[in-house]
Order: sequence, then C-alpha cells, then structure tokens
Amino acid sequence: MTDVLTLVFRTFMSQTDLKTDLTASPPPQTTCSALVVGDHGVSSSVLLLAAVTAASQLGMKVMFFTQSQIQSLPASVQKCAPSLSPECLKKIKFSYPRTVEELLQQIASLHESTNTSPTPPSLIIVDRLESFLCGPGGGSHSGFHPGEQSCAAHLSALLCDTAAFLTQILEQRSTSSGPCRVIASFQSEVNTGQVSAEPSATDPILDVLDRYFQVRCTLDRDRGYEAAAAGLQQVWHIYLSGRGITDGSCTKDCEDRTGVAQEWQLMIFPNDLMEFKMV
Amino acid sequence: MPSLLPAVAEQLFRDIQKIYQETSQIPDDLLIALKFVFGPCALQALDLVDQHSVTCLSSPSGRKAFQVMGGSGRLYTCFLSCHYCPCPAFAYTVLRRNEGLLCKHILAAYLCQAMGVTQQESVSDQQMSMLLSGTTAP
Repeated sequence: MTDVLTLVFRTFMSQTDLKTDLTASPPPQTTCSALVVGDHGVSSSVLLLAAVTAASQLGMKVMFFTQSQIQSLPASVQKCAPSLSPECLKKIKFSYPRTVEELLQQIASLHESTNTSPTPPSLIIVDRLESFLCGPGGGSHSGFHPGEQSCAAHLSALLCDTAAFLTQILEQRSTSSGPCRVIASFQSEVNTGQVSAEPSATDPILDVLDRYFQVRCTLDRDRGYEAAAAGLQQVWHIYLSGRGITDGSCTKDCEDRTGVAQEWQLMIFPNDLMEFKMV
Repeated sequence: MPSLLPAVAEQLFRDIQKIYQETSQIPDDLLIALKFVFGPCALQALDLVDQHSVTCLSSPSGRKAFQVMGGSGRLYTCFLSCHYCPCPAFAYTVLRRNEGLLCKHILAAYLCQAMGVTQQESVSDQQMSMLLSGTTAP
C-alpha cells in the first residue's frame, strides 16, 4: 500500500529533509496492494517498519505473516522507533505459517469473527513470498512451472479478495482505518544482471504477482563508491512503479504530482539506523 | 480496486445485463462480441451458464465466493474481486501464455451475474475458509 509505505519513508526521513517536505501533499489513498521486490534482509526491515508505523501512527490492526519467528524487532527497526509502546505492538499480530498451505488457510480464515472482532485488520503483510512459493530446490526458473505460477496466483488473489472483503467490513463499521491494504515482499531468483542471463529474462512468479499487486516497490542497491566515502554502510534506491502509481498521478494536476514521490533513497548507517530521503 | 477487465468487456457485460433483463435473451450481435473479446472460451462459458453451473456461496461472516461446476464435474472456487481459477486452462492460457483474459469458469461467473442466473448457497464460515484456501477437495 503506497500510502503506508510513503508514510514510512516520510516518517524516517532525516530531520533536515523533513523541513523541506512540508509542502508536499499526502498521496491519494487509491491503491491497496504493494509488492516490495529486492533483497529480503532490507525488505523485511521495511515491512516491519511499515507494520510498526501503521500500528503506532495510524492505529491500524496489522496481520504480519512470515515463516521465520521474530524474537525481537531488528536493531534497524528499534533504532528508528525507540519510543514504541507495548500497546502499539499489541496491534500487530504475528503469525508463522510453515508452508504455503498453512499461509493460505490462515489468510482464508481472516473473515471469521475471531479475526474481525473487535476490529478487523486493516493491513496484511506477508514477508518473503519466495520462501512460501518457490520449491525447496529453488534455483532456476527455466522450464514450465505451472504449479508454482498457479500457487502464486491463488495466494495473491486470496490476499486481494480478502482485503476487498475486510475493506467492506471496515466501511460498514464506519472506521477511519479503511481500506484494508496488503504489502508483501518477494526476492526474485532471476538475476538479470548476470552476463550469461538472457537480456529479456523474467521471473515467471514475479510476472504473476504483478497481475495482482498494483504497486511495485523495487529496492536496488547502490554499488557506487560514494556510499563508502560518506561512511554509510549501505545505500539503496527505492522505486515505486505500477498501475497504482500511474493511475494516481494521472488524475492529479501538475502541482499535486509531487505528492506521489516515485523515487526514494534508503541509507543504512553503520549503527543500523535507517533513513529515507526523497529523490 | 481498479478495473481488471478492459473497458470493452465491462461495457459488454452491462449491455448483456440490460438486454437480458428486458428480453430474457442475448442477441446475436452481443454473442459475436463476446466471442470476439474472449475467444474460444466464450461458447464454453455460455454452455456452463445454460447448465446453471455457477453458484454464489456466502457464509455468516458475509464472505462470498463463486463456485463453478466444470464440464468434467469438478468444482472450481473463484474469487469475486480479482481473477483466479484453479483450473489448468487458467494456469496455462492466462498465467503462463498470457493468451487469454479469463478461463471459461470465470467468464461463466461474470455472465451469470450479468444475467441474474447465479444459484445461491450458504456455507459455514469454516467451510468458506476451506474453500477459499483450496483445502477442500472439489
């Protein structure tokens, strides 16, 4: 969901950048599903930041699905949100399905009253889709994998259909937390940067996910020397693209387009602090 | 949710709904348009409509889904708000080859909705969860 992701980026901007950003208008709340594509270490941190930001700043109930149990928030997230209250963390429900079948069952049951009372979730996060979707062999995506594509479509469609249903419930209850959004992360195993790869190599799973997710948030590491020279541990470029971004910007006039920033930069300092910057 | 169908397809369903309400028939020009837009699965979908193959399932929570009886007797659970069907044709023609917008089951569901001939059935919340996740055998 770009409004939650953009809120995360704005919230964790450097203090000097915040002062120059006051005139930008908030992004339109028209998009409901976003896919974060890139290195799973960074994307997991971004997703956790999204959960924490949504719970603490927007008062949303969040469902967070991931295979690996989270014993404590990563240092990067703790540093970004040092004053996180236990009350806020209670709004985030973590779930650890072991297989894609378990994940499907848990998402399919979100409509049941145990999950919608007293408040339905308004943000569903699924971390590391590839750990659920790709077979244990992983590796190459050459050849025909209809089972994996169909499974990716089933999971994505179920997420979107569930979010659409929960949005109706939120609207019926006249809450201000609607619509229900979905953010997921996926790391492609197809490396189009390799010399031996075909120029037009695409990931068939990512092709399927793109059908259902309206926004793609791409994380691309900066491999230049400036980052090291500036004493930064890592610099990442963040690009927002997809029909959810295009539709939003097309309906607004020129002055308002700055509200939907499509490019950001993420800086990770040696002490694990993450800071975002609008480009 | 943005539109998942091309504008021409949406208009076609609106036209079918209007004319079917008035005449209880789909005229030839709309049938031809259906075949033009959706290809070979149009006629197969119309056969499914004639056989009353589409049911809208609902559960006490308000959750809904479509269930379509395929030609072989298998039941396919499809979603309301976005396109997904567990049938082999959807996996191959739509997802893999990107050669079709829909499979005949999803198209049959759209047509039944437009024509107002969808069957209705209630299931429990737990049964709905199993159907949505695909853990119930068809």
